[in-house]
Amino acid sequence: MQKEQICFTLNGETIEVYTDPTISLLRLLRDELGLTGTKEGCGEGECGACTVILDGMAVNSCLVPAGKAKNRSVLTIESLAKGDKYHPLQEAFVEKGAVQCGFCSPGMIMSAYALLQESSEPTSIEIRTAISGNLCRCSGYKQIEEAVLSAAEKLKNRGESG
Amino acid sequence: MPTETDIITGDRKTDRGFQTPEVWAKITGKAIYGIDLKLPGMLYGKILRSPHPHARIMGVDLEQARRMPGVRAALAGDELSCKPFGMVYKDELPLAIDRVRYIGDEVAAVAAIDEKIALKALEAINVDYELLPAVFDTEEAMAPGAPQLHDQHPGNLAWQRELTRGNPEAAFKTADLVVEGSFSVPQVHAAYLEPICCVADYDPYGGLTLHTAVQSPDIVRELVADVLDLPVSKVRIIGPVMGGGFGGRVYGNLKVYIISSLLAIRCGRPVRMQLTRQEEFIAGRPMIAAKIRAKLALNQDGTILARAVDLITDNGAYSAQAPWVSKTLSERNDSVYRIPNIRTTVRLVCTNKVPTGQYRAYGNQVGNFAMESLLDMAAKKLGLDPLELRLKNCVKKGEVTVHGLRINSCALSDCLQAAADEIGWHKRKPGRGYGISAAIHAGGSLVFDKNMRGASAYARLEYDGRVTLFSGEQDYGQGTHATFILIAARALGIEPDQIIIYSRDTLTSPFSIGALAMRQTTIGGKAIQLAAEKLREKIAQTAAEMLGEPVVMEGGRVRSATGKTLELSEIAADYRFQTSGLSITGEGKYVPSESAYDDTGYGNIAVAYSFAAHTAEVEVDRETGEVKIIRIVAAHDSGRILNLISARGQVYGGVTQGLGYSCQEGYLFDGGRVLNDSLADYRIPTALDVPDIMPIFIEQDDPEGPFGAKGLGEIVMVPVLGAVANAVADALGIRVTDLPITAERVYQAIVEWECEQ
Repeated sequence: MQKEQICFTLNGETIEVYTDPTISLLRLLRDELGLTGTKEGCGEGECGACTVILDGMAVNSCLVPAGKAKNRSVLTIESLAKGDKYHPLQEAFVEKGAVQCGFCSPGMIMSAYALLQESSEPTSIEIRTAISGNLCRCSGYKQIEEAVLSAAEKLKNRGESG
Repeated sequence: MPTETDIITGDRKTDRGFQTPEVWAKITGKAIYGIDLKLPGMLYGKILRSPHPHARIMGVDLEQARRMPGVRAALAGDELSCKPFGMVYKDELPLAIDRVRYIGDEVAAVAAIDEKIALKALEAINVDYELLPAVFDTEEAMAPGAPQLHDQHPGNLAWQRELTRGNPEAAFKTADLVVEGSFSVPQVHAAYLEPICCVADYDPYGGLTLHTAVQSPDIVRELVADVLDLPVSKVRIIGPVMGGGFGGRVYGNLKVYIISSLLAIRCGRPVRMQLTRQEEFIAGRPMIAAKIRAKLALNQDGTILARAVDLITDNGAYSAQAPWVSKTLSERNDSVYRIPNIRTTVRLVCTNKVPTGQYRAYGNQVGNFAMESLLDMAAKKLGLDPLELRLKNCVKKGEVTVHGLRINSCALSDCLQAAADEIGWHKRKPGRGYGISAAIHAGGSLVFDKNMRGASAYARLEYDGRVTLFSGEQDYGQGTHATFILIAARALGIEPDQIIIYSRDTLTSPFSIGALAMRQTTIGGKAIQLAAEKLREKIAQTAAEMLGEPVVMEGGRVRSATGKTLELSEIAADYRFQTSGLSITGEGKYVPSESAYDDTGYGNIAVAYSFAAHTAEVEVDRETGEVKIIRIVAAHDSGRILNLISARGQVYGGVTQGLGYSCQEGYLFDGGRVLNDSLADYRIPTALDVPDIMPIFIEQDDPEGPFGAKGLGEIVMVPVLGAVANAVADALGIRVTDLPITAERVYQAIVEWECEQ
């Protein structure tokens, strides 16, 4: 496939890449832009490890052609911490023991991030539904759910969203 | 001169929620996993696999592939001179010669400058096959005239065992009740989320470095060196962060390591090889499938008299550890209860299907499903409460079980009681089913390698007063590193944040058997404790010499009898100058006493034994067969819990895996072809599948484990299978004896039962 110029916003910064638009956004991020925080667990849209936020929506980046990012906004796990200040979701994931092998964590956190953008006081079932496309083999999801609840609480107390 | 005068006292307050700094790297996306690695000049390797379950290879034509632009190497088995290898039997070659034995068998491999070209090159390889008759069913494989897989396994029997303890025949004759059942369990994949990936790098000086995350790097290192005929000192394994293991990555995928190494040696460039998720399913090493016929003899009062088991396990095409897994599967449950008479037959059978390996708990959970189902069948017939039946027969501290296991600490009856109380065993809700199950699991195997029963570790005082630990044990998210740091912190009387640990490089880490057999905390942790204690002793000795009087070490510094103090950094500096640059180090070697393990497998097999009892509460829809798990209570005796946050995580995660095993997972085959070879079709539990899980820890000190601790990571999934099966049977009045207990199976069981009525 012919390479083409694609301009999009990545983690708040406008960038231009010259790439094959048919490769997946996941490949573009990992292989060409060096953002390996977004993981590949299956490459078939089944595990959620590659979840990123595309215009506010959590998507499996392995299923999104890179060309579809054109003129849109992509957020990856690398965008969440500001300097040495972690996002409340990241803090809560650590505090609640929601991270074991950690391979699902970036995708899981991005799905939770998208949820908290939509809903500042999610219920347990809303959380479980929001992360139901993100497989975790280590945790049984319990401490992840606790972490998202706790992060929502923290954000509410700070008067912020997401 | 007496050096240190105080004794180490247990300070428990820091031990409830410690995590290593690596967790922050993981949640920011900065942790480097195997799949994230890139080396300069790296090539991409791919494997051509057999499309046939059984065939003769008449020829492999690599010429066209080799001529493709961007292809740097193409290999087939007949041009290699590798030795056959295997953990138990040497039945595998890196690339097949003459014959393929399953759909997925490795036939050829290529390395190219990118993945796309590598995949194109595979298409350009021509293989001429002559199809052979194949066999997929274990019983058919044992029948006369069946296609034979390996010359070394006549009759396709890869392993067999006949075992009698006591006098089971007499016991079955005189018993008041004999219950019998047949059970089946399919192959199950560990389904770690990160696919196996290896970057092999062959340097110009003849050294081979594998960048890959495995649970037993030292064992893999020796095996790779042997197969490739390299000096073992020339092979190094450096582990990136591991995306889950669960026993499925004990030896990971040896083919991937060996083939990527062969390509790297051939090309003189690093070669990266990553399995696709489909390759994980069709050519990974899932847990063996089992058919179990079992019976139990009891007296009217519920005393268990004897157990007989006839086990057939499906080896698949190659063995890996299937004989050892079959052994554990067939007998570990015998030691949960006092059973004086045992009769066991095991046949491990080769079929033209995916080769098998092991998974968390090593088959113990499969045996649990059969044994605990039988116990409930017996309780029903005897009119006894399943809880009472278990309490009456369960092993206790001080006992030696029928297979010679020495139980030096045991809170199993407390676990049973706690799990029952918490689920409301005696306050049952109408319309719900309740099940209970008990388990034992060996914590720290002494017989995995009888010459290498223990573990070792180093602890080094750094010049800045911090401490570095070196261990060969592996952390893949289960919390080993955090636990080891806590153990060292307690032994040294310093804060955990002053300690770091290295374990992922065979060049710097002491040799270890690895993260298996639930040996990390019990055996590896003990070595850490001993290393830290040794370091403490040497620090105190050095300080005493510096000050010329006895000292005590406390609060991260050293104080003398007359009140002089020294910081650890001052002691380290002094030692460095005295020795022209050395650091104070403590070596810890934990060598458990030898086990009197005889040829029949009788003897103490582990340093300690962990226990658990789980209860399940379920609802079953009689119209659709759908099983809804409401709650699991998981009561555990793993001795002292050293780090509560990761202990809880182990229970939630392990129970969830057990629920997948019970109700969702399992390979489906059409002949030799795996039908559910993706995460869409092989369904592991999602966040919506998991019920309320309640961990309970009955903490009693084990005399041997570090600070009274025993292992936890494997036993967490063992009782789940039995508890769920029993709860479903309780809800329905009908027992499902084939896993997974899906809605279809339950519905079918209801229909069959209705037809019989």
